[in-house]
Amino acid sequence: MNEFLQFAAVVVGIFISFAMYTTLYGKPNPLRSWAEFSYLGAATGVSIVISITYIWNTAILGIQAGDWILIFSIIFGLMMILRMHPEYSYISRLPLAFTVGTGLALSLRTQIFTSFIIQINATIVKLWTNVPLEFLYRVTIAVSVITILTFFLYTMELSGPLLWTSRVGEYLMYIGFGAIFAQTFMGRLGLFVGYMESLTTPTWKTPYTLASALICLIAAIIFDRTGLGEKLSAG
Amino acid sequence: MADEGGIYKKMATYDKRWVYVVLFITTLGPLISPIGMPIGISAMTKNYYAELDTLQEGDIVFDTWNMEFSGYMELKPGVLATHKMFIEKGVKLCIAFGHYEGVALPGEIFKQLQTWLDRYDYTEGEDYIIIGYVFPNEAAVAALAQDFHANVRVDWKGESIEGTFLDEIQNAGDFDMISDYTTGLATTWMINHMVLQYGVPMVENSIGVSVPNHLANLDAGLLQALLASTRGGAELEFLISSPGPGLKAMDAFTLGHYSLIIFIIIGNIGHYGWARRSGARDRTGIK
Repeated sequence: MNEFLQFAAVVVGIFISFAMYTTLYGKPNPLRSWAEFSYLGAATGVSIVISITYIWNTAILGIQAGDWILIFSIIFGLMMILRMHPEYSYISRLPLAFTVGTGLALSLRTQIFTSFIIQINATIVKLWTNVPLEFLYRVTIAVSVITILTFFLYTMELSGPLLWTSRVGEYLMYIGFGAIFAQTFMGRLGLFVGYMESLTTPTWKTPYTLASALICLIAAIIFDRTGLGEKLSAG
Repeated sequence: MADEGGIYKKMATYDKRWVYVVLFITTLGPLISPIGMPIGISAMTKNYYAELDTLQEGDIVFDTWNMEFSGYMELKPGVLATHKMFIEKGVKLCIAFGHYEGVALPGEIFKQLQTWLDRYDYTEGEDYIIIGYVFPNEAAVAALAQDFHANVRVDWKGESIEGTFLDEIQNAGDFDMISDYTTGLATTWMINHMVLQYGVPMVENSIGVSVPNHLANLDAGLLQALLASTRGGAELEFLISSPGPGLKAMDAFTLGHYSLIIFIIIGNIGHYGWARRSGARDRTGIK
């Protein structure tokens, strides 16, 4: 029975994945809506259970262990829930302000180093090195940083050498954007290939994968041609 | 009215759904029937391997699975290969999740590592402990870094962590390494509050989209090593001589990239041949 349930979960999982992929067809259809809402329901359920477990493990067990200050976090959390009550929703502003304040303080305390000072330090390095490739990297970084910074000089008219450096900076940014796009494509393809790999391994899954892909594609076309897709899909 | 653009118009305005069809075929085809294309090993992956190789038996690694289930699909080769190295070396792992979907991951990951777990007698509780979802926000990360046991008292099954190897951990500085697998969730917070504050060496296995950001952190010395996406994972599999999902996926990966390059070339030829010359862009809405 247990084995059958596992098998059924895998097969339904494969089908639901391809149902979700029918969104690529570009037209609404009920299969996609079904897949979407199934995910929403499951994800909401899991997140509620995990959040409650987190509160139990961190706050309740902490209080039981004598960490009384955590009672305030429970009270603040309950105050936050009042946001849903129209009459008392203003009470939720207090924990919200507290959360925003501590979040900002925590972030600013470290972010100025990790995102600013340390990054600048890493950029200001000796250009010359005995390794030719390393020398090339360092020169590229230095030239890119300086020229791109001149592109962002907004308070003065760019002319003469500044105009040229800003142009160079602009084109270097295009190169950077191209590299980021390629990296993004590689990542997204990696995600897709990884998932397809899990849908074809072990090999017994392959027929179910191919059948699901075919059924969902045919269904998407039929829903589109008959006009049923829009009618039966959730908004 | 005569067709103004001919073949160029077709190339510039082809239905984007063909891209999806071709990607499905070029991906599924090699996965079902592998070709075995060669791959090279990048210096970045060699550095990642060398960094993990510095770990000694008994070292405690904070193993943070900062990924959703979808992100795991991209990072799977790197995750599995890294854990094979950890298991082989006898490193102790404190596993934490950065996303609630993380609860689905241990079953999936350890099922695939079963042979290695059995071979090295690597067991939960003694060699690795899963502390579960502990990173809901930055404050939680900062608190955990400062006082580990005040924030983590039980593992993800609700069993006390007292009397385990985690007794040695008082704050983040007691970890020998942080090994993070990320889709960009709590990673910045960990760099801010664990690496910066306590100087713990951190290695990163990142999804492709976030690689440019993490390269800056690698360059700045905030990260010790970076494993980039599925490709990096496949390279690591090659380095540890344990082929897995990464190397299997590389054919599909390569063909997928070729497909995109071909589509870009077709689109650009079409653009220059038709849209740019004919001035038809206004009529078609292609800018």
